[in-house]
Amino acid sequence: MEQPLVQALQTGDLAPDGVLPDGSWLSALRGQPVILAFAPDEWNPTQAHQSALFARLSQEFGGGAAFVDTATEDWHSLDCRSTLAAQFGVDGQRALFLLDEHGVVRWKTVVPPGQDLRPGQVLAALEALSPSPAAAGNGAVVSGGLSRRTFVTATLAAAALLLLPSCDGSSPDSNAAETAAAAESTGTLPVVLTINGHSHRLQLDPRVALLDALRENLHLTGTKKGCDHGQCGACTVHLDGHSALSCLTLAVMSQGKNITTIEGLAQGDELHPVQAAFLQHDAFQCGYCTPGQIMAATALLQDPHTPTGSAVELREAMSGNLCRCAAYPNIIAAIQAVQRA
Amino acid sequence: MDPFQYQRAASTDQAVAAVAQNPDATFIAGGTSHVDLMKEDVHQPTLLVDVSALPLQQITPFESGLRIGAGVSNTVAAYYPAIQQRYTAVSEALLAGASVQIRNVASMAGNPLQRTRCPYFRDSTQACNKREPGSGCAAIGGYNHVHALFGASPACIATHPSDLAVALAALDAQVQTSGPNGPRTLAFPELHRLPGDTPHLDTVLAHGELITSIDLPAFAGRSHYLKVRERASYAYALVSCAVALEMDGPTIRRARIALGSVAHKPWRLPKIEAMLAGQKPAEKLFRAAADAAFANAKPLKHNAYKIPMGRNLVVRALLETSGLRPLQGPAGTAFAASVGGMGGELVAPR
Repeated sequence: MEQPLVQALQTGDLAPDGVLPDGSWLSALRGQPVILAFAPDEWNPTQAHQSALFARLSQEFGGGAAFVDTATEDWHSLDCRSTLAAQFGVDGQRALFLLDEHGVVRWKTVVPPGQDLRPGQVLAALEALSPSPAAAGNGAVVSGGLSRRTFVTATLAAAALLLLPSCDGSSPDSNAAETAAAAESTGTLPVVLTINGHSHRLQLDPRVALLDALRENLHLTGTKKGCDHGQCGACTVHLDGHSALSCLTLAVMSQGKNITTIEGLAQGDELHPVQAAFLQHDAFQCGYCTPGQIMAATALLQDPHTPTGSAVELREAMSGNLCRCAAYPNIIAAIQAVQRA
Repeated sequence: MDPFQYQRAASTDQAVAAVAQNPDATFIAGGTSHVDLMKEDVHQPTLLVDVSALPLQQITPFESGLRIGAGVSNTVAAYYPAIQQRYTAVSEALLAGASVQIRNVASMAGNPLQRTRCPYFRDSTQACNKREPGSGCAAIGGYNHVHALFGASPACIATHPSDLAVALAALDAQVQTSGPNGPRTLAFPELHRLPGDTPHLDTVLAHGELITSIDLPAFAGRSHYLKVRERASYAYALVSCAVALEMDGPTIRRARIALGSVAHKPWRLPKIEAMLAGQKPAEKLFRAAADAAFANAKPLKHNAYKIPMGRNLVVRALLETSGLRPLQGPAGTAFAASVGGMGGELVAPR
C-alpha cells in the first residue's frame, strides 16, 4: 500500500473543530490546554488492567498513583476511527495531541500500527511539555483552568495509552511489514462500524457499500437490497439518527457514525411503535420494502424539520421509498397512527 | 466497480494536494451520486479522497449574505431559517429534489457537481463523448426527450440535472474554491460550461480544485423555484425555472431568471431579464417574456414538448414570484415548487 498522502496535523497547526464524545465542541474548551488521545478502546487510568502501565510511567516521571483521580477530569479519550480522528489526520492509529489554550497543536505523537513506543521517548516529550518554572509548582494553573498536577498526570496517562494495541487489533510487537504486506495483497482496510450500539471491526475492500457490509459481513439481513442504485429506499438505515441509503454509502465512510438498522429498533421483544403500527395496519404485502419504509418513517417521526402533519406531506416525505405491492395507503395510515398515539 | 484506494482528508490543503497529484483521483463527499456512477463504471477513480469530515459544515453570515460551507447537507441548508425565508428558491429547489434519505447525505457542493442524467451517459455500452471523449453521441440519433434546447453541440446534447444549481444561478451565488493554484472565487453562472467539443468537462474547475463554500449575496427580493416532473415526487425535472425579483414599489427593479434541464448548464436569460426591468408585473408582459425566452430554442426529435411547457412554466413562475398568483404550497417547500402532483394536492387535499 502506498504511503497515505493525508498526513496528521503538524505542530503549530490550528486544530480543526469537532464534536467530542459527550456532544460538546472542541472549540468550547478554548482557554485551557486540551489533551486528545485517540485509541482503540476507552482509556480509564483507574482500571486495573491499565493501571500497571500508568503506574510505571508515573513512577519514572516522579508522580504518583494519587494523581489518577484528577487525571480523569480533563481527559478526552477518543475512538481512533471517529470523525474527529479523521479531522486530525489520525486513521486508526494511536495518537496523542496537546492543544494549547488557543487551540494550536503544540505537541503530537502518532504511532503507526504494529509499532511500539518506548517509555523513554514519551518521557522526553513530557519533559519538554512541562509548564515553565514560573507557572510550575503543584496546583499552579497552566494558562487557565488546568493545574500542573492534572496536566502532567493526564499527559502521563495518555502516554501509557500509546502502549496499548493499535486500532486494527495488531499488538505493538506484531510485525509492521507483515501487516502492510497483507493489506496490500488484499486491498482491504480495517473498518470499525458502530451498529445498533455495538462496535464491529471488519477488514473491507473500500468498494464495499454499507449495505453489503451489513448483509454479507455482519449478517444483518434485515436491511434489504432493492435496486442498489438509490432509487427504491429498501436499504434505508439511520446514520446519526437521520435516514440514509446504505447502498450509496461506502462502509469505510460510515466510520464514526451511529448506524441504526431495522434490527436495532425493537427493545428486546417489544416492537418499536412504528413496527407495531405496520403490523396493525397491514402496511405491507410481500414485505420486502418494509424495513426501509419503517426506517424512513421512524427517522421522519424524530425529525423536527420535515413537515409531516398531513397525508400529503407524509407522502412527499416518504417518496424515496417505493412499494411494488402499492401498500401506500396502509403505510401512511400506520405512520399517522403512531403520530396520533 | 474498479478497485480504488481511499483516504480521509485531514485538511482542505491536503485534500487538494492528494487529488491534484493523481489524475485518476477524485473527491468524495456525500457520495450519493458518485457511488452510483462508480457502480455503473462511469466513474473509475483509483483514489477517493473523502472530504466529508473537513470542517466545511457551517452556515455563517457573510458580507450581508450567507456563506454555506461546501459540506453542509442539502437537508440542513434547505431548512436553515435564513435560507428558507430570504433565499426561498434555494430551499424550494433543494426540497423538490431527490428524497429525504439523499438530501440528508448529499452536500451543497456535491449537488451542483452531479453529472447529467442522460441515459446514454450512464450506459457504458453506448457511445458518449461525455463519458468517453471521441466515442460519439448516442443521444443525438436516439431517444432524446430529456435533452437540451439551448447551447448543445454536435458532440453532446445532455442537460444538467441539479435543481439547486438553477436557483443558485438565478441568485448570482458565488463559489469559493481551493485548488492547486490557490483559492479563487467564481460567479455561479460561470461555474458550469457548455459542451462544445469537450463535453467531458462539466465545469471550469481544475483537477484537484475543491469547492469550499457557496456564498449567497445580499438579496431583499422574492425568489421562487418551479419544477415539472414525470411523477409527483423524487424525479428529475423535465423543465424547471428559478426567478428572483427585486421591486421598486410596484415596479420590477431587477429580474433574474434561470431555466433548468434545458441546457448543459443552468440557462440564464439576460435579454428577458432586461426586458422585465422597469416594468410593472402583468400576465401579458410575462407571456411576452416567456415567448421571447424560447424564441431561439433548438428542439431535437423528442423534446419539442419542452418549449410550450417551458413557456408556461416561466409565466407561472413570474406570476407566483410577483404575487399575481398564489403559490401552490407554503413558500420554501417542495409543495410550492412542484407543478402538479403533491403541490396541487396540498391546496385541495383529497
